[in-house]
Formats: sequence, C-alpha cells, structure tokens
Amino acid sequence: MTATSRPEHGDAAAASPPTSEEVRLVARGIATAVAPADGLMPVQAALLRALTDALTGYQVDYSSLDPLGPDELAEVLRDRDQEYRQRIVHHMVLGELVLRPLPTDVAIRVARCSEALGIKDSFVRVARRYAQGAHGLAWLDLQRSGFVDHVQATDYDSAQVRGPADPFAPAEVDPALEARWRGYAELPEGTLGHSAWKMYDGRGFVLPGAPGGAPRYLAQHDYVHVLADYGTNLRGELEVFAFIGRADPDPKGFAWLATLIGLFETGYIAETGFFERDVRERNLQAPGMDMRIADAIRRGKIVCECYGTDLFEVDYHELAPRSVDEVRDLLHLPAKSAQSVEGQWPGAFDRAGMSEIQQRFADSHQGRTT
Amino acid sequence: MTVNFTQTIAVRCDKPEELVRSLVEWDCQQADADVMGYIGTHLLADRERPGEYLIVAEFAAVDPDVPAAEEAARNNERPETQRWAQRLLDLVEGEPVYKHYDELYRTG
Repeated sequence: MTATSRPEHGDAAAASPPTSEEVRLVARGIATAVAPADGLMPVQAALLRALTDALTGYQVDYSSLDPLGPDELAEVLRDRDQEYRQRIVHHMVLGELVLRPLPTDVAIRVARCSEALGIKDSFVRVARRYAQGAHGLAWLDLQRSGFVDHVQATDYDSAQVRGPADPFAPAEVDPALEARWRGYAELPEGTLGHSAWKMYDGRGFVLPGAPGGAPRYLAQHDYVHVLADYGTNLRGELEVFAFIGRADPDPKGFAWLATLIGLFETGYIAETGFFERDVRERNLQAPGMDMRIADAIRRGKIVCECYGTDLFEVDYHELAPRSVDEVRDLLHLPAKSAQSVEGQWPGAFDRAGMSEIQQRFADSHQGRTT
Repeated sequence: MTVNFTQTIAVRCDKPEELVRSLVEWDCQQADADVMGYIGTHLLADRERPGEYLIVAEFAAVDPDVPAAEEAARNNERPETQRWAQRLLDLVEGEPVYKHYDELYRTG
C-alpha cells in the first residue's frame, strides 16, 4: 500500500460515515499510538472518548482497548481519503499534545502511524519537538507551519487588506478600525455588530484599533465568540479556537487548538505576543471540558463541510448589521449539543464564561449602568 | 535515557547583531525541517571581555537508539550546517573555538 494508491479527496465512498467496527478499530489505533508506558492518561481517554462520541455518535471506552499497530490502522483506513486520514492523525496529535512531559516513544509512535497512513503533517513534527524538549523550536515550527503561509494568503476585511505574516503580531493603532467597532454600539440589539460591541463593553475590552486593543486579525475571533456562543475565559478560548480550527477547510487550522493547548494547558508555549501562558488551572481536565472541546470540533466540522471558509476570512463588518441568528444560518452553524444544557456550558454572555477579571469589570459596569 | 549534547563555539566578533541574525535564520530553517537532534541555541556575550561571544548549541535524542552526540555529528555533515559554519567564519575574527560536552545534569 502506498499513499498514491489511496482515494483522493472527493471520493464518495471515502466520505461515508464510519461503521461502529471502523470507529472501534480507529480508536484502538489512536489509543495504541498515544498511550504512555503506563497506559492512557485520564485526560487523554476522556478527550478521545468525547471526540469519538461527538463526531461519530459511537461510545468507545478508550481505557480498555486492545492494541492496534500502524500498519493495521492503515489497512482499516485504506479506503479513506487523504483529508480523512489527516484528521485522524490530528486526533492522535491532540491526544499527545495534552501530555506534559510528552514521552519520546509516544511522539515516535504517532509519527510512525502518520507515516503508515501516508500523511506528512507538520503538527506531528511539532509534537516530536515537544518530546525532545525543543519548545522554542516547536513554537517556531508551529508558527511557520500553521500560521505564516496560511495567514499571508488571507484577505480578511472588506478593504482587502492583506493579513499579517504573524497573526500574533502586535496591534497597530487604527482610528478607522476603532471607529468602526464603536459604531456597532448604534446598531440594533441582536445584530452581530451590536452583540460583539456589547461583549467588549461588558468586559472592559479595549476596542480593536485603539491603543492596547486586540490586533485586527485576532479580533476576528471575537465575532465567533458571539456567533458560536463561547465564553471569553480560558475555557471559552479553548472552545472557540477548537471550533475555528476545525471549521477551517485547511487542516492547518489545527494550529489554533495546538497553540491554545500549549498556552493554557501544558505550558509548552510561553507567549504569543497577544496571549500569555496561563497554566494555573488544568482547563482541559476541568469537568465537562472534554465534551465541550469535542462539541466545538463537531460544530466546526459541520461549518467546514457546509460553509467551507476559514472563519478568519469572513467579512464580519459587512455582516455586522445582520442578526446573530441570520449570520449563524449563513455559516450553517449548528446549535451546541444537548449536553450543553445539562452541563450548563457557559455562553458568550454568561458570567461563568468570563475570567475573574472580566467578572469584576462586569460587576462594576453593571453597577454603573443600573 | 540518552543524555543531551552541547556544542560551544567561542568567537570574537564586532557585529553581534549579525551573529544574532545568522542564528535566527538558522533556527527558522531548522524549525520546519525534518526533526533532527538540534533543539536550540543560546548566544552569550562575555561581560569581562567585550567582543567575545559564546554560541551554545544544544542537541537531544530524536530516536532513543541514537545518542544526541551522534545526532549532532549527523547534523554537522549536512550541507546547510557547513554553509552556516562558513558564513560564521565571515562574521568573526580569527578561528572559532569549538568544544563538545555531554550533559550530566539539568535543573528539572
């Protein structure tokens, strides 16, 4: 079996939903690749189980699976196209990136699996660098492989301004951009623009374009907080970037989740220029976060399949006067899973979706406005 | 458990910014290349002897069966490494002094 004998993207048979047997075999292959010497860590087993459930509807207990080697896994996936196999590799990488330390043998097994599947993927290499202890080089690799080429190809607003080479580059003061965001306050309640402005105003965020505001490119993700209804604390950021990354038709979108995990879970990344490392809490291990991340990836996958545009490329300014629901429909953005109600997963405007600092600001802001 | 390996290169140079630039370019080139033993570099300026610098290049095992020192030796044979070493000669005064070390201890 060689990579060239496999089906390419668009093959109808290759896109059919997996059977329960295939799901279980793939789960065995993933678990075999990412398990440290003492077996899968609980955070790995929980995340992979939630992901499998969210994406396939099948429940698999990852903590008690028989081994399945790279070649056997490749045989299971022989009729799947390149993108499908690459997404499977990303699930493996996700399973290893949550480990700190990341054992060398795990990183090597994932690399061998990826090779057996005919996938050359830069995130596999990033994980190997983490395992080596080459954290600085890994971050450089992640930026160059995941963002630079991708972002440089992006025109992200109505003025067709070229995206920055580095999405985390320091923000530039831009009075016109600030005025644009300030103008959203005048839009009717329930519009995307007004909701985005309200989120900024209620948390004390400096508007994009103003001194100290978010870089214009990164500010795009704040519209997605509103649209996908994710909070703005670290857990909400993990959700929103898991969603955005999977919604991107380019598998390089996985770089966002890999970066956020490095910043807010394992601490492999010290700072990006905009986000700073914060590992005081193990956010992925918090109750329900496995399902929240998995659901964000599920929703992203649907947007990817139905809308097919990197959400950083969307001209949200043009959409700002439309209602949030209307824009959700445009993006084919599905609702959160039913578990979100039972689990009380916080949304963009819930207090529980704010960091402590944001809550304190919101409390004082509420006092001033009532 | 394989031990890390370090190569130091002592140089005299009146253009430290050029040294930094060459190391940044080297790191960028390494970052999206296949995983090798190289894991990173420090450039240190001697406070007592202005104009003297120490490049500290670190290597770690990629494969548990291949020692870091051997990874470094393989790295040394690569054409891009040879080109970088040649460029270094153009930047510094006199001959760089190379030394090689196995790591015995590192803080957690």
